[in-house]
Amino acid sequence: MKHCLIVDDSRVVRTVAGRIVKDLGFTVSEAGDGASALQRCQAQMPDVILLDWNMPIMNGIDFLTSLRRSDGGKVPVVVLCTNEKDPDHIGEALRAGADEYIMKPFDADIVRSKFDQLGLV
Amino acid sequence: MQDTTFQQIAALAHHHSGQDLSPAKPYLIEARLAAISRRESFASLDDLAHCLTSRPNKRFEAEIASALTPKQTQFFADRDQLERIVTYALPEMLKASNTGRLRVWCAGVSTGQEAYSLAMRLSELEGSPLCQADIDLVATDLSAKSVAEAQAGLYSHFDIQKGLSVHRMLANFERQVSGDWLICESLRSRVTFRQHNLLTPPGPLGQFDLIICRNVLPTMARDKQIEAVAHLNAQLSPKGQLFVATGESLTGLSEDLEPSRSVRGAWCHSQTLNETAAA
Repeated sequence: MKHCLIVDDSRVVRTVAGRIVKDLGFTVSEAGDGASALQRCQAQMPDVILLDWNMPIMNGIDFLTSLRRSDGGKVPVVVLCTNEKDPDHIGEALRAGADEYIMKPFDADIVRSKFDQLGLV
Repeated sequence: MQDTTFQQIAALAHHHSGQDLSPAKPYLIEARLAAISRRESFASLDDLAHCLTSRPNKRFEAEIASALTPKQTQFFADRDQLERIVTYALPEMLKASNTGRLRVWCAGVSTGQEAYSLAMRLSELEGSPLCQADIDLVATDLSAKSVAEAQAGLYSHFDIQKGLSVHRMLANFERQVSGDWLICESLRSRVTFRQHNLLTPPGPLGQFDLIICRNVLPTMARDKQIEAVAHLNAQLSPKGQLFVATGESLTGLSEDLEPSRSVRGAWCHSQTLNETAAA
């Protein structure tokens, strides 16, 4: 079973996203900021990462940049999942290494659709 | 909702759009007619039915029938089928064409995502003969409201993220102050949207080389499916192809259409297939 790491400083978002992703057949783990997410990836690299942008300690873009430079860091599929909706921000996330982008608020259909496009379901 | 009200609304839907309303799902009728009920200040659907009886109004009946049709759609709903269309079916038709012009009809497109997906995909085929071809892309729906929305090309935060990759979203849409996303003019101008009922006799739209009619026929009662398919058949050019959704079948709905032997999912005139086989 594939594994998804959900990285968001909101416990509510982690819970909701976690339920959606579990229904898609993934096991799920969580991290509340970019730094602890990096530690989780170093311990066990996930297959997919749902990643928030604005988080304390280390934001999503800094995490993503560090991830992609790390050993095995190019492997996980990374989906930014954030309130940032400006096209310039979206472009920045893609240049940093995001594979897809979900604008909050999201629903299960959107997550399923994005995961389907990425060949994950 | 009283049984008589359900039967009256079901009969109206059957007559106007061919739709087969399940008596097991009255909540769908309530949900789909909620906006009209609120606008007209009906306290209940029974009141709406009474109004239909006491003050018959063809336009209102058509509006109700249209509101009852399912509207669910998304961009790139069947990517595999779309790829077969743009990488095989259309190029082969273009090669065989004497005029270099193809006519494509997307029937029952609701708010337009299916037609725009095809337009997007065609625009991505840089360097291919299809990119330069004169393709008349017509898209229709029963609902005037849906057609107007499709023509506007403005999609909500939720609709823009279903079926559409972030790369295509950025390449083909512009975020508006409202938060909605507007399709670029070059794609919007590639599609001609019209209101059209598949149960009306063919004529005004002309004939098409390729027709896509996905997830519409299964919502209809069988007698109306046969009627609609007869019209689609009449509007399909002699060597044209008709695509329905993966999983749908036209078997038993027309003696004039058979599955294509060369394109998976396509249906062709039986006469054309027989002539090709004999040649």
